[in-house]
Amino acid sequence: MDEIAYTFADNSANVPMVNEEEFIMNKKKILSILLTIPMIISMAACGSSGQGAGSEGGNAGADSQAPAATNSEVSGKVVIYTSMYEDIVDEMQKALKKQFPNVDVEFFQSGSGTIQSKIAAEMESGKMGCDILMVAEPSYSLELKEQGMLHPYIYPEADKLAFEYDKEGYWYPVRTLNMVLAYNPELNNKEDLPQTLKDFAEREDMKGQLSMSNPLTSGTAYSTVVALLDKYGEDYFKALGAQNVAIESGSVALTKLETGECKEIMILEESVLKKREEEGSALEIIYPEDGSVLIPSTIMIIDEAHSANNNIAACEAIEDYYLSVEGQKQIVKGWMNGVRSDFTEVPYDGRPISELLANNIPVDWEKAYKQRDEIRTMFQEYVTVE
Amino acid sequence: MATITLKNVTKSFGNSRIIEKFDAEFADGEFITLLGPSGCGKTTTLRMIAGFEKPTTGEIFIGDKKVSGEDTFVPPENRNIGMVFQSYAVWPHMNVFDNVAYPLKIRKRPKAEIQEKVRNILEEMGLSDYEKTMPSKLSGGQQQRVALGRALVSESGILLCDEPLSNLDARLRKKMRREIKEIQKKYAITIVYVTHDLTEAVDMSDRIFVLNEGVVQQVGTPKEILETPANDFVREFIF
Amino acid sequence: METKKRYFDIKWLFMALVVAFLLVFQVFPLLYLVARSFISDGHFSLEGIKRIYSYGLNLSCLKNTLITASLSMVFGVVIAFPLAWLVGRTNLYGKKFFRTLFVTTYMVPPYVGAMAWLRLLNPTVGTLNVFLQKLFGLSAAPFNIYSIGGLVWVLTTFYYPYAFITISRAMEKMDPSLEEASRSCGASPVATLFTVTLPLMLPSIVAAGLLVLVAAASCYGIPSIIGAPGKIYTITTRIVDYVSVGSRESLSDATSLAVFLMIVSFIVLYVSNFTVAKKDYIVVSGKSTKPSIVDLGKWRIPLTILVSIFAFIVVVLPFATVFATSFTMNMGKSVFAPGNITFKYWNTIVSRQSIIKSTGNSIISAVLAATLGMIVCVFMAYLLKRTAAKGKEIPDFLITVGSGTPSVVIALSLIMTMSGKFGINIYNTIFIMVVAYMIKYMLMGMRTVVAALSQISTSLEEAAQISGAGFLHRMRDITLPLILPSAVAGWFLIFMPCFYELTMSNLLYSNNTKTLGVELFLYQTYHSQQTASALASGILIFVLILNVAMNKLTKGKFSI
Repeated sequence: MDEIAYTFADNSANVPMVNEEEFIMNKKKILSILLTIPMIISMAACGSSGQGAGSEGGNAGADSQAPAATNSEVSGKVVIYTSMYEDIVDEMQKALKKQFPNVDVEFFQSGSGTIQSKIAAEMESGKMGCDILMVAEPSYSLELKEQGMLHPYIYPEADKLAFEYDKEGYWYPVRTLNMVLAYNPELNNKEDLPQTLKDFAEREDMKGQLSMSNPLTSGTAYSTVVALLDKYGEDYFKALGAQNVAIESGSVALTKLETGECKEIMILEESVLKKREEEGSALEIIYPEDGSVLIPSTIMIIDEAHSANNNIAACEAIEDYYLSVEGQKQIVKGWMNGVRSDFTEVPYDGRPISELLANNIPVDWEKAYKQRDEIRTMFQEYVTVE
Repeated sequence: MATITLKNVTKSFGNSRIIEKFDAEFADGEFITLLGPSGCGKTTTLRMIAGFEKPTTGEIFIGDKKVSGEDTFVPPENRNIGMVFQSYAVWPHMNVFDNVAYPLKIRKRPKAEIQEKVRNILEEMGLSDYEKTMPSKLSGGQQQRVALGRALVSESGILLCDEPLSNLDARLRKKMRREIKEIQKKYAITIVYVTHDLTEAVDMSDRIFVLNEGVVQQVGTPKEILETPANDFVREFIF
Repeated sequence: METKKRYFDIKWLFMALVVAFLLVFQVFPLLYLVARSFISDGHFSLEGIKRIYSYGLNLSCLKNTLITASLSMVFGVVIAFPLAWLVGRTNLYGKKFFRTLFVTTYMVPPYVGAMAWLRLLNPTVGTLNVFLQKLFGLSAAPFNIYSIGGLVWVLTTFYYPYAFITISRAMEKMDPSLEEASRSCGASPVATLFTVTLPLMLPSIVAAGLLVLVAAASCYGIPSIIGAPGKIYTITTRIVDYVSVGSRESLSDATSLAVFLMIVSFIVLYVSNFTVAKKDYIVVSGKSTKPSIVDLGKWRIPLTILVSIFAFIVVVLPFATVFATSFTMNMGKSVFAPGNITFKYWNTIVSRQSIIKSTGNSIISAVLAATLGMIVCVFMAYLLKRTAAKGKEIPDFLITVGSGTPSVVIALSLIMTMSGKFGINIYNTIFIMVVAYMIKYMLMGMRTVVAALSQISTSLEEAAQISGAGFLHRMRDITLPLILPSAVAGWFLIFMPCFYELTMSNLLYSNNTKTLGVELFLYQTYHSQQTASALASGILIFVLILNVAMNKLTKGKFSI
């Protein structure tokens, strides 16, 4: 029990462990405590195995202006929540071990929607389970920043970033996702299909044979909606609704494209590239002539008060690494584009970021954050509902 | 001392009175029958003696020991009495021997004693050849004999019977009546027997309690009941 | 033995422990979540509820949920009753085989099954649609899976096993003399079925239908795949929409909607208590009997063929689709097209280190959930059926509400309350998943034990009691052995859905406690349908083997 007390001593004081006074069920108090015993034992086991070294580097990074500690100096444990593919997470873990031999890095990998709801519930309970987030797009970062969940870190080479970042250092873009169109060349001719996002919504011969992701559950889909709303206005979504476009997850959409149930789908470039490399799939991308929607996904450090391991020094070093050319190489292996203007590697079958940026529909992140409910409702009214 | 005493026992379920002020003393070795139509409260009375129901008021003694009262309630498992149920209640997952041996096993008697006592009882019941048989292979009469053996094996001195013969055919019933009577004499036990069958009551009892709607109508020997019924209800019932 | 001594009955200690468990790990988290949806800025307010329930889209979701769940209930029972009768009480050919087959659906994640149906019946290139179109020379596809009808069809084919399991169990335990009496009065077997068997089975049928209703109404996987493309949204898909937004208000909104499903569960239990409890026929006594078998006569072969066709369409076809998918390289071509067969997906699932580890975690958590769940169920069923305690129906009610609560709501409520804020921290351990599984899946176990207990005459236990056996001895020697086959079946009914559980695990897992359901979800969402199909087939094969093994071990006494 001593060990638990120690581990949690330097965390926020409003997270009591087994505080009997606070027990809700007064009448059943004794029974409840009896029941809790096995749980405490299990917690003790978990607590002592993972978090013992957590506080060591706690003070080193308190001054956010100081340069990040060198890689071998940092130690302890860091938990990262990310929505990147599981396959590349395995690779990344190996690369991180090489870079940071003394840091125990753990990934929690899931869909961005799942991670966001997990985070919301964790915030409710007052205690986060992670130290770094590599999930979702800038509008979510704006939200977390405003809620005071983030730790600022000034990245010295921020001027090399090709995308918008937070000047106070609360968040940086770390990878780029790209919303494009895709079709199946084995069943359809490219020339017969819409070449623009506008035609995707307006060409009547495509009715009932289109699919896209749900902006209510997917951050990238939502960002795309914001971009298209700015460019084409609400009429675009009225048209999309009339097309009877199916709203479903990317993997279902890809299967429908393969079987011929859908002729064209709006999807993230990475899903198609991955399928092409891993399965030798023939599915092809159409880069929309009116521009694809580039969605940078961010990296953020949870602040000391909320983070799971309170290991700011290591977190800053890891963020530094991911934004560096070396770290960006890992990103590209995961079929995504990088974020640096001086970085030229492209994902398998992909295109360089400079070329993509040349024809890009921009997203207003402030608007995406501030008007989220209105925009979501607008989409539902026009597209989701009959 | 296998006497049973009920003092002022009443029983209500919710607002309805099931038993109205039952006072009785059953002597050691006596064969008592609670007789009456269904719903008269006879089974409830028996179950209160067994401990499956708590009396609303009043006291029950077994021997000198109070088993039910205002601040006392001895649960059935600690009353040390035998009971035979209408539906036999022979455990289908145990063989005949294990069924009969159960009361002794649960009271942690030595193995040798269990062997001996169960064998004796089974012989008495004419079931010696069926020790290892599962109950589902037995006839109704045989199953009821197993139940009877199980109720007698712990030699508690008291046997409660809840319409034990109602599921048997007429010929078998007659035979079993005789056997139960013989067993009672042989083991000198007190029997409280619940039935709605007048013949059964008259044939076996030392004393009969006639009940109707929770009230004792008449207490007497079979002869008294038959010859001088106390009221209209008893008169009609014995016809 | 002291006359004055008060005897303490140890059973109340056990009951209290189990009730305390339910209070702490189920009632409190859900109440917390519900209370939250009524409180805005620290004040009690109905604003949130009003806003949610006055929104047009949400209302249409309520309507869709009620329609699809009720229709699935009706069809589920209409299918399950004759099947249960044919398989349980007649001389149909291949009864045992059919029985296993019909229960098999219960062992497949609904998400995966929905994908299979989508492939078979989509209006554009659905395999079955194309086949029928060619066969009958139709100009348009005969079926459209993306419709209310399609949703009801898939929900029904997935949830009728709940009704089948419940009804066939009751049917096999019915006192045959009741039917024999009818036959001897001159009624034909069919007339007997309708005049005696059916009315006697009514309580079980109602209970079975309500199980299907609750399961269908709280299902997420099927409507998300079948409903969404056809613009048919249900409460559960809406809840997940709200949850995915990930803000504090949206969590409240999700809960406000979930309250509706809790109310449905409440009504369900109310109804079943009034129709079922009032007509609780105890049909099994201390006497050992076997149900009589009806000779189908000249109908034996036609009915066998009919049941075979049903089994082929509802069970074999979708599973074969899932199985074939797991070997298909390019989904645009037939699995038998040259060079299109691949073992790569199977290779992936058996070689991935994380899958092997996740399998271990799933086994541990599902075994724990099923075992602890059955302990809770046995004690609570005993409380319900064998005691006169006040409020003895409440645990039964709680278990039903738990099962009617959408998985995602359960998971969120547990994260909020079980990660240290209120003194208990089981977040990121396997226990939080075990608790979540129990809340969601104890219902089938509970129903099984309750049914078993109500079919065992109390005199069997009373006979042990009068023989001197206390509560624990009675449990050990009489009650448990007698309900053992049902208890094992109940254990399995909890184990199976936990083994591949997806929605809750996905929110609750940590790196050390990843489960098969999480893997399945990841493959389904990020990788390919093929890998997910391979994994689902693997899960199915594993569970089937386990099922057969249990059957062998218990010498055929155990069957679901």
